[in-house]
Amino acid sequence: MSEAASNVTGAWSGFSYIVTNLARFVRPNEITFSGVNSALPMLACLLAKQAYPFAFTYINVAGGVDPNPSEVPISSSDPVLAEGSRAIFANEDFYDLCTRGLMDLCFLGAAQVDGLGRTNVSCIGDWHAPRVRLPGGGGGAVMLPTARRAVTWRTEHSRRTLVETLDFVTAAGGMHGVVTPIAVFTKREGRLALASWHPEASLDEVRDRTGFAFSAEDAGPTPPPTPEERAALASLDPAGRFAVDAGIRLR
Amino acid sequence: MSAGPQKIIPLADLAARVPDGSSLALGGSFLHRGPFAFVRELIRQGRRDLEVVKQSPGYDIDILCRAGALSRARAGIVAMEGNFGLAPWYRRAIESGAVRLEEHACASLTAGLRAAAFGVPFMPCGGIHGSDLAALNGWKTIEDPYGSGEAVYAIPRIQPDFAVIQANEVSESGDVRVFGTSHWDRIMSRSAKRVLVVAERIAPDASFRDQPELTLVPHFLVEAVSIVPNGAWPGSLWPDYAIDYPAVEAYMTDAPGVLADHLAAGPEVREAAHV
Repeated sequence: MSEAASNVTGAWSGFSYIVTNLARFVRPNEITFSGVNSALPMLACLLAKQAYPFAFTYINVAGGVDPNPSEVPISSSDPVLAEGSRAIFANEDFYDLCTRGLMDLCFLGAAQVDGLGRTNVSCIGDWHAPRVRLPGGGGGAVMLPTARRAVTWRTEHSRRTLVETLDFVTAAGGMHGVVTPIAVFTKREGRLALASWHPEASLDEVRDRTGFAFSAEDAGPTPPPTPEERAALASLDPAGRFAVDAGIRLR
Repeated sequence: MSAGPQKIIPLADLAARVPDGSSLALGGSFLHRGPFAFVRELIRQGRRDLEVVKQSPGYDIDILCRAGALSRARAGIVAMEGNFGLAPWYRRAIESGAVRLEEHACASLTAGLRAAAFGVPFMPCGGIHGSDLAALNGWKTIEDPYGSGEAVYAIPRIQPDFAVIQANEVSESGDVRVFGTSHWDRIMSRSAKRVLVVAERIAPDASFRDQPELTLVPHFLVEAVSIVPNGAWPGSLWPDYAIDYPAVEAYMTDAPGVLADHLAAGPEVREAAHV
C-alpha cells in the first residue's frame, strides 16, 4: 500500500509501522537518544514529541537537547538536529550518561539480531576474512549493556537478519525491543518475545521468517496508528521522501 | 601577547608536516565538520601508510582508502551516512586486507584517547561485557581495587601522532572555535602529540577574549593553522553550509577519473590557485 493510501485508510505501511512502533517505546519523563545512521529512530523521536501527550527529553548525536529543527534532515547526525537546543550535549557526554546508568532509552542499529537480543554490526562471515565488512562497533558494545532499555529496527524481516547464531557478537546485554516491517518484539525473561504483528502478516509468517525461536504468548495484531500518530508522521514527511528513501516492503 | 612563530600557513605546508606512516585523529563525524580539504591535500601529496583514528569516520577514511593512502584504522562506526550507506572503498580495503582494522566501540576509542590525554597507560571503559570485541582486541578486565567487586575493561592508551581539527574560526594566534557539537574533537586535541587546524576564517583576537568559553582548543596546544573557506566540503560546517549531496553522490560513482575529478573540484584547489 502506498504511503498516501495508508494514511487515508489508517492502515500501516512498512515505513509507518517501523517509525510509529519505535516511537511507542518512548515513555514519559525519560531520556531518549537517537544516533547516527538512524533516520527511522530520529523520525520516531520527533513523532513522539508531536503525537504523545507527555514530556520526555530527546537528545541526539548532533548534540541537540529537545531541539526544534527547522527541517528534518536526511542525515540523522546533521547539525540541524541541534537547532533550538538549549545545550550542546556532545558525543562523550551521552556515552558517559549511558555508562553511568542514566540513559533510559537508546536506539541502536544492528545488522543481525539473535534471540537474546544481542547484535552484530561488524561483519558477515569471519571477522578476519569478511564477506561483508559492516560499519562496526559504534555505540553498541558500550550502550547495549549499560542503557536501561535499547531498541533496534530492521527494514528487512528475514532469517538472515533475525538469526539463531550471530556471525560476530558486537554487542551483548540484549535489546529491550526490536521492530521490523511485520513485527514488534520485546524482551521477556532474557529473550526476545513477539509482542505483536502487522495486521497484514500473521504469527505463522513471523515464525517462518524469523531465524530464532520465540514465545508469542499474549501476542496479537499491532493496534492501528492513532490519528495523532498519523498526523505527526505526515507532518514530518509530507512529501513521502523518507518513506521512499527507506524503501521498506512487507515482503 | 608574546610573538610566537607564524601559525597560519598554506594548506600544502600544513599537510606537508604529516610524514608517511603517521596516525591521524580526524575531527568531526561522518559528513559533518571533517577536515576534508586537508585529507584531499594529503592524497595530492602522495602520502602513504597512514592510520585513521576516529570514532565515526566516513568520507575521510573512504577517500584515503580509495587513494591507497591508508594502511591502518582504529574506528568505531564507519559509513558514509545520510542515505549513502556503507563506505564502499573502505569496505573493500578491509575485505581485501589492504587496510588493517582495530574495531572499537566509539566509547572504547574515546577511553584509549582519554588515557593519552590523562597521561596514564589505560582507561577503564563502561560496558563491553559480552562483546567479541574484547577478545578480538585483547582487552583485559581489572577488578575494582577498592573492593566493590565490579570488573571493568581497561582500554590501552591511544595516542595519535596528529589531531586534525576542522574549525569555524581561529584567532591569529591559533585559538580554535567551533559552533554546534564538538563531536570528539576535544579529546582528540588533548590526546594527540601535535594538533593541526583548518579553519573557515580568522576572527578578531578580541572576540576570543570576549567569549573565551567558545574556545575549544587554546592556541598553545595548536601547532599550525590553515585558512580554507569551504574546507569541510562536500560535508557540512554548521552553521555556514550544509552537505553538498550532489557532490557526494558524484564521488560515490565507481568509474575511472571520478577520484581525480573529485579532487580537482575541492574548494582548496581554487583557493590555492588564487594565492
